[in-house]
Amino acid sequence: MTRRGGIALAGIGIIAGLVALAVAGPHVLPGSPTAIASDRALRGPTLGEPFGMDDLGRSMLSRVVHAYRVSLDVAVSSVLLALVIGLPLGLLAGYAEGVLDQLIMRPLDVLMAFPAILLAIALMGVFGTGIVLVSAALGIVYTPIIARVVRAAVLAAKAEVYVEGARALGAPVPRLVLRHILPNSTTPVLVQVSVLMAIAILVEAALSFLGVGVKPPTPSLGLMLADGRGFMLQAPWVVVFPGLAIMAAVLGFNMLADGLRDWLDPQVATR
Amino acid sequence: MMAYAGRRLALIAPMLFGMSLLVFGLMRLVPGDPAAIVLGYKATPETVRALRQTFHLDAPLPEQYLRWLGGALRGDFGLDFRQNEPIGEMILARLPVTIELTLLATACAVLIGVPLGLLGGARRGGAADRTSLVVGLVGVSIPDFWLGIMLILLLSLGAGLLPSSGFVPLTEGPLANLGHLALPALTLAASRAAVLGRLGRAAVLDTVHRGYVQVARAKGLRERAVLWRHVLPNAAIPIVTVIGLQVGYMLGGAIVVETIFALPGVGRMMLDAVLERNYPVAQSTVLVIGALFMLVNLATDLLYGVIDPRVRLR
Repeated sequence: MTRRGGIALAGIGIIAGLVALAVAGPHVLPGSPTAIASDRALRGPTLGEPFGMDDLGRSMLSRVVHAYRVSLDVAVSSVLLALVIGLPLGLLAGYAEGVLDQLIMRPLDVLMAFPAILLAIALMGVFGTGIVLVSAALGIVYTPIIARVVRAAVLAAKAEVYVEGARALGAPVPRLVLRHILPNSTTPVLVQVSVLMAIAILVEAALSFLGVGVKPPTPSLGLMLADGRGFMLQAPWVVVFPGLAIMAAVLGFNMLADGLRDWLDPQVATR
Repeated sequence: MMAYAGRRLALIAPMLFGMSLLVFGLMRLVPGDPAAIVLGYKATPETVRALRQTFHLDAPLPEQYLRWLGGALRGDFGLDFRQNEPIGEMILARLPVTIELTLLATACAVLIGVPLGLLGGARRGGAADRTSLVVGLVGVSIPDFWLGIMLILLLSLGAGLLPSSGFVPLTEGPLANLGHLALPALTLAASRAAVLGRLGRAAVLDTVHRGYVQVARAKGLRERAVLWRHVLPNAAIPIVTVIGLQVGYMLGGAIVVETIFALPGVGRMMLDAVLERNYPVAQSTVLVIGALFMLVNLATDLLYGVIDPRVRLR
């Protein structure tokens, strides 16, 4: 096994651990993420509550675990949305080229002409806050990225001899695209999906932190950081653990993306 | 080169047109009467009517759009009804803060990231390489707003070394100005330094296998000379262009960093406008930041064409 293969596996391990925590955690953990207990406000980390308590006496561990669900929900649904819209658009643009390509890609270029976070904030400002809207906004922001990657892969695949051969044999267009061209774009799309999952977790947290993401009282890692800022001098744990939690998740997806990328480009793996 | 530059520059107008159309359309999708929302508690039938008139909200949409665009091209974004100030002047007053922050952060990112990456790539497998790999991976995974909070907690509130918020203009005190921008610039620079480091390492690794490097070694050049004369200058090409892309990215990141450190920049102005549902200000600031972002990326494209002639042929 190469060292790089190890990085990808470690990434998968982190992600699997976090998913397991997000799915099983709420059923296993004793603390409630929303139950307020003022007598335990800002109590420091203990064995039973290793992440301590927040300003309302809520279990930080419980809140972090619940917030992971929100992070993963948003990441998965936004990337899925971008795939559902961006993949067919990219396939079509790359396969058709010419006028149709221009008609599809130029408007997407305009979307990409804004910094992602700026566009996401503007979208949230218009449509309001909440998990579904954050996912939709991020899905819109990511659609052109997916479309571009797919289009580039399609253009590359079209030049390959095996595609020309299939066409010469009289393969109908849908078969040509689905059986010969689409599989060729799987790896670059997978790398991009992994990177976008990492960015989605970061951006959801940033949007919630700024007040244009998930609505309270839904636990979100970004909201917890925003709330905790006021108490961080007395109780640093209210800002330390949510931040570390975001970083762990993002690190997992970035490691996976790194590993996948090297798999895509074997030249790198041998180094 | 001229043809390539011409092709690139010809994109400015249609892109700006598309961006302005998107921003304008987006703000018109806001449910409710924008005039009433903007006025908030100050909304009375008279003030709403006056505002609708000044904004030409009763005019057909295409006419509204053209008025706004025409004004924007002259730098006239209309009046902010909350502050009773011209929006164009407000943006102009805050732009230097955002630009200074972005430039400082770029300098930090380059000074930290590039040497780290080059060193890692040149000493592959060594301690420097391992460090650059780990720093790079962790660096791109750190949320910048969390890093900002941690820096405030440790360096301002904890150690009392640097101010945690506020701003002093460069003209009123260069030292105080730098002090106020040090933590924000570091916060903004960290993840970008990591990106540059990762790229620098990859660029060096990509170059050491090239034929001209082998020739340089074969003709008996010392390893140090091979590195400085042949590897690093060639590895610099992709790095220089990615620095340009990072500058653009930082314009977006500035929104978050300006908010954490309470800096009076355009990013925070934009966020405040969105939070207060002040749509005239929001749409103008979004367009200005977007246009800046596009221009920086365009300049990067042009630079790429200058450094690497092959790009122009595409």
